[in-house]
Amino acid sequence: MSYQWLTLWRYADTFLSAAWLTLQVTLIAFALAVALGLISALAKSSPLALVRWVSHCYVEFIRNTPVLLQIFIIFFGLPSLGITMSAFTAGVLALGINVGAYLSETFRAGIQSVPKGQLEAAWVLGIPRRQVFMSVVLPQAARAVWPAIINNLIQLLLGTSLLSAIALPELTGTATVINARTLLYIQTFSIVTVVYLLFSNVFSWLGNVAGRRMFHPALVTSKKRTIGWCPKKWLSNSVKGGNS
Amino acid sequence: MSELIISALPTLLQGLGITLLLSVAAIIGSTLLGLLAAVLRTSGLPVAKQIAVLYTELFRGTPVLITLMFIYFGIAYFGYEINLFAAGILGLSIYQGAYIAEVFRAGIEAVPKGQWEVSWILGLSKRQTFMNVVLPQTRGIVLPPLVGQYLSLIKDTSIVSMIGMSELMHQGQAIVDRIGQPVVIYGLVSLLYFAVCFPLSRWVQHHQTRSQLS
Repeated sequence: MSYQWLTLWRYADTFLSAAWLTLQVTLIAFALAVALGLISALAKSSPLALVRWVSHCYVEFIRNTPVLLQIFIIFFGLPSLGITMSAFTAGVLALGINVGAYLSETFRAGIQSVPKGQLEAAWVLGIPRRQVFMSVVLPQAARAVWPAIINNLIQLLLGTSLLSAIALPELTGTATVINARTLLYIQTFSIVTVVYLLFSNVFSWLGNVAGRRMFHPALVTSKKRTIGWCPKKWLSNSVKGGNS
Repeated sequence: MSELIISALPTLLQGLGITLLLSVAAIIGSTLLGLLAAVLRTSGLPVAKQIAVLYTELFRGTPVLITLMFIYFGIAYFGYEINLFAAGILGLSIYQGAYIAEVFRAGIEAVPKGQWEVSWILGLSKRQTFMNVVLPQTRGIVLPPLVGQYLSLIKDTSIVSMIGMSELMHQGQAIVDRIGQPVVIYGLVSLLYFAVCFPLSRWVQHHQTRSQLS
């Protein structure tokens, strides 16, 4: 058994660079997704019907087709229209566009959760519209949907595995290459699974910490993403909380 | 272009049939598995609860593609053979079951604990309480997110194409490999997925807003 793990130890560097690439794609695509989501959420309350319609079509089309198909359309479809890009760019673009549509709905729910009276109060106080959005609406909206935003980030992380289909050497793609060389399927997939679990739990932990520090009043999430053998007091938390 | 569409459509529709078959089978599997995991998790039995937590947290933190590959290649690694279709159903059921377990858990926990006590006093068994008192009440809370999970399951069936299953996505790829025209073919494939998913997502949106208002 142990010689198999020794064989895989030779690929430690490959695994590490794959993990780094996964992280890079996740973070860059998430930045794009946040921008797209915010624009699309704002566009939905635009006075122009055309702008609203475009945003609506974007969200509905993306949310009702598989992300793998969207990756293929961008990577294999666009070159036939004269737009070529690397697997990295295509992957970031596809995942950013995909998660942007989900975030758009999340942001909109957040914006709608801010009581309308506050907007009227801000208007009466003569605060400029831009400032009202940035310092009244946005902080409260972000607090209301913060757990959903973190969930979207984790979904994006898990979605990067599909970029192995366009030969990007991220974690899953690297695992299949190493499998082909060593035939150690179980061991390779176990390593990759552990890395994904690590990343997703770190993201959700950071999200919880940020939620407690960033917002006022502090946001305490009852939902813990911890692995089975965690202390009992953490578990009772989720039963008490009754997440909605 | 219309000729291309007409010649590609029969193959794609055949793929769509397999996609739907896979979806229905995995929806049944994942619902049963999710319900079981949710019951174990809320049961309070020490070991069973721990196993259920481990199950949901493990699969909610890993990609579905890894789950599918683990099952398909992992079983082959131990010298057994598994049919692609079975591997697809198993992988999607296990994966989505973890998410569905959380949906059911939220529903079960929303029912006040006092009802368990009252049922106990009235002489109902635990099983009767769960089946006749708790479960019927969870319908309004559980159904919209549950259908939402079915929706992502249907979209996730496209990922089974990556281990070689010839469903809709795979048929589309095969046509593009043979005759090119990726924009037209993938456009057609997305329309087919859209036709299946859009009504479901409208239903979810409608019922979500309704339950929020009430």
